[in-house]
Amino acid sequence: MTPPDSRRFPDGAVVSARGLAQRVTTADGELTILADIDLTVAPGETLAITGASGSGKSTLLGLLAGLDRPSAGEVMLLGAALSELDEDARARLRAGRVGFVFQSFQLLPALSALENILLPLELAGHRDARARAADWLARVGLAERASHTPRQLSGGEQQRVALARAFATDPQIVFADEPTGNLDADTGARIIDLLFELNARAGTTLVLVTHDAALATRCARRMHLVAGRVAARAPA
Amino acid sequence: MKLLRLGLWLLRRERASGEWRVLLLALVIGVGSVSTTGFLGDRFKRAMRDEGARFLGADLLVTSPRPVDSWPAHRLTHSAALEFASMVSHGDAFQLATVRAVDAAYPVAGTVKIAAQPFAPGIPGRALPPPGAIYADQELLPLLGAQVGDRVQLGATTFRIAGVVTQEPGQPGAMFGLAPRVFLRADAVAATQVLQPGSRVTYLYQFGGAPDALAAFSEAMKPRLDRTQRLIGAHEGVETLRGAFADTDRYIQLAALVSLLLAVVAIAITAHHYALRHYDQAALLRCMGATRRDLRTLYLIQFGSIGLAGSLAGIALGALLQTALAHLLLPTAVARLPALGPAPVVAGVASGFVALAGASMPALLRLLHVPPLRVLRRDLPPLSGSAWVSAGGSLVLLLGLTAWYAGELKLVGIFVGALAGLALLLALLAQLALGLGRVVQRMSYGPLRFGLAQLLRHRFDSTLQLAAFTLALFLVALLALVRSDLVDGWRQQVPADAPNHFLINIAPHQEQDVAAFLARHHLATSELYPMVRGRLTTKNGQPIEATLPPGQADASTLRRELNLSHTVTLPANNRIISGRWFGNRHGAEISVEAGMAERLGLALDDELGFAIGDQTISATITSLRSVRWDSMQPNFFVIFAAGPLDALPASYLAGVRIPDDAGSVLPEFVRSFPGVTVLALDKLITQITGIFNQIIAAVQLLLGFLLAAGMAVVVATLLAGLDARRQEAVLLRTLGAQRAYLARALLSEFVTLGLLAGLLACVSAEVAMALIAARLFDLPMTLHPWLWFALPAAGAALVGASGWLTTRHIVRVPPMQSIRALG
Repeated sequence: MTPPDSRRFPDGAVVSARGLAQRVTTADGELTILADIDLTVAPGETLAITGASGSGKSTLLGLLAGLDRPSAGEVMLLGAALSELDEDARARLRAGRVGFVFQSFQLLPALSALENILLPLELAGHRDARARAADWLARVGLAERASHTPRQLSGGEQQRVALARAFATDPQIVFADEPTGNLDADTGARIIDLLFELNARAGTTLVLVTHDAALATRCARRMHLVAGRVAARAPA
Repeated sequence: MKLLRLGLWLLRRERASGEWRVLLLALVIGVGSVSTTGFLGDRFKRAMRDEGARFLGADLLVTSPRPVDSWPAHRLTHSAALEFASMVSHGDAFQLATVRAVDAAYPVAGTVKIAAQPFAPGIPGRALPPPGAIYADQELLPLLGAQVGDRVQLGATTFRIAGVVTQEPGQPGAMFGLAPRVFLRADAVAATQVLQPGSRVTYLYQFGGAPDALAAFSEAMKPRLDRTQRLIGAHEGVETLRGAFADTDRYIQLAALVSLLLAVVAIAITAHHYALRHYDQAALLRCMGATRRDLRTLYLIQFGSIGLAGSLAGIALGALLQTALAHLLLPTAVARLPALGPAPVVAGVASGFVALAGASMPALLRLLHVPPLRVLRRDLPPLSGSAWVSAGGSLVLLLGLTAWYAGELKLVGIFVGALAGLALLLALLAQLALGLGRVVQRMSYGPLRFGLAQLLRHRFDSTLQLAAFTLALFLVALLALVRSDLVDGWRQQVPADAPNHFLINIAPHQEQDVAAFLARHHLATSELYPMVRGRLTTKNGQPIEATLPPGQADASTLRRELNLSHTVTLPANNRIISGRWFGNRHGAEISVEAGMAERLGLALDDELGFAIGDQTISATITSLRSVRWDSMQPNFFVIFAAGPLDALPASYLAGVRIPDDAGSVLPEFVRSFPGVTVLALDKLITQITGIFNQIIAAVQLLLGFLLAAGMAVVVATLLAGLDARRQEAVLLRTLGAQRAYLARALLSEFVTLGLLAGLLACVSAEVAMALIAARLFDLPMTLHPWLWFALPAAGAALVGASGWLTTRHIVRVPPMQSIRALG
């Protein structure tokens, strides 16, 4: 594992970025999606990244999680400089230490609810994987639906399974991309309650991407993007 | 370990998915097909060798003008016989006979049938007569005016005729010029006092046993033989069967190869679809920390398990079916065939894995290159950096597999070239056909119009499906055609009016009378060919032995006397392949059979010298001929132009068809022309048609594999488009389309697709067949009108039924359930 670069990044940050930029080349020339992003997220902190559609918030999430490489700038995740790692090393860094919640749930259709939670545990090599998965399924209130496949579950239930999957490996950080985007308001609210409850109990760092300003206020810190640049931070 | 568990777990969870089923099915069919032929290949050769042995009377025959006293050590069954010519008399009648003096072990292979009366069906038994008795050819009795039970004189002894020989193993080619056969006990030879010092005797030593022991014996024996001795293996026993053996072997290779290729097509389509459906899974796993290597291990475990299961099941199927085929091919030999060895099992598993790897490699590599960012942006395709490498790797693997099975580069070349060209052509034709479909669609209405619109809307998918369906139908049709043309070809070569008797030793002064006799009895007959026996001695003035190509030093053609003939008309079943037929020209010209020319390194314009009696005749090769040896007509290696042989003493030879119901003709002929030898070919023809029928039955069983492989392609293609169809069906149901409407639309779509595929396959098969018939099997080109009805109908039925069976559930499921299923 690469040691944290204390010259450029504050000690102890779970994730931090300096001068982050993402540009793509299109038929009409170069398009800037993100520019001049600096941020630091301390352990246990919750950060909301907000902005309208196309403001670059999901791109930023992808860069912070090491799913993509930036055009410029540097990301430190869990003490490692991502630019110095190849894709497989970044994957190894994520294993068991980074959780994800997606707008489209991303559950595997052939696996049951329990097995979907089991998947990251098996991949991280947890010994008591099955018991742990069952425990997490119970924590999200779906113990009796263990053998049901995603297509037998409602949207809200699927996202609860996805939450359990994200937290099951005791990750140090969870990235959530529009977790209520595919849900109705009531169900969305319940999911968010559950997300923050699980996060608070586990003391996990949470980076939440949302276009919903009200939801963002539940995070300790907020960062608003406009056209790929930081337009506002709260608290300032 | 954790990845192994995870891989097997994921596989188990997805075992019910259509892809694994199709992969498994395709593998079982592909491996089953090649295993059947693989297992059978060895046994088939044994079976053919066995048939050869039945003709030869042994697995191995050694002939020698002197007794052979010492043999290499062996554990073979064997028999020793001797053959000589002798006069046999009964009252005032005399006849020259070929006496074969046998022991109790004769013949080592094949059957001798003895009957109590001439022209009665015989009973299988031994050729060894009881003490004091002989068995005689049925032709001999009318010549001597004798009956079964009469005593005949042979040398110094009299023998009772204990029965007539109606069937015996023997080499038809070696029987020309032979007088009727008499079987005598070997221990009775001395008493006849026929054999004196200097008498011409041929000693025949027959051997039979396991292939390994035979091969070892043969190798040990070869150096001990001198020029006057011959060692004949069962495979070279009969010239007549050689063509059929080669065709059959090639045909079986072709059938297995095509089944395997169809299975590969099904696997490739399914693996591609599997990869498409698993991009999200791969991205998610990468998100969760799986490295590319982890993913590769996970998918290799899953595909490997399927490969192992499919290959083993295919091998089991192959082992079962080859037993059925072995029974069909040669019921009598099954008990003697070797047990199934591990080699075909290893070969089966290897080909299963190679086919799977070759067909699924591009799809799998794309899965490994799915970017993890796809979890956030689902439109991201896999990175395509290694597409060419993976496609190239696949091609090398599949070509290697094809070459391994075909064993013959020419066959691989023709097939792979034809398939590649065909794929391009089919894509073009499919586009054209779909253009035609648009015209029909404009004129139609209701579900048909909608079904056709569906076809046209997904033009790329439709082209792919149409090309795949067409390929499957084309290959099945092609094999069916090859089979039917081969069978027809064989039947034509042994037509119903093929000669069933050869009349030999017709003296020149009898020629007119024999022709008149045959005409009077309305018997179908060949030309009467003059026959002169001579030995090939020189080529362009040099001893022929000095001019032979390497490896031909012991060419049997040189050891025996050739039957030379002269005629102005090129015999039927002969074809000039180079040079010009001399026709009416007089002069020292000869036409040589192409195979003999190749073996002996002869070419046009070479001058050959022949020793005929005490004369030497030279002539120049002015043409080379191909000869259908299996035509049952009199055939000659060397034919002279009019002139050189005219003055030489010749006897005449003719092939004649004597109908089964013309029982009295033969005895009357034999009485009218006592010096003429009648050689019955009926038994030979029966044996050959019997073998052909067995081969046909085997080939039909192999066609079953092809059809199954074709169906696997059909199902794989449909399955690949199932998600899109389900989505459309849901939308339509939601918009108010009734089930029956959707069902009819689906059915019209598939039936149209099947019809089009049938038509395209028909055109392709006719063209390919014309090429194959001409180039590969040397058969005449023919059109197949039935195909133009059968193939579109079969296509419509096949694609219609499999399409309906694969997709019918999408019109039955309530829309809400389908919407959920789509996520």
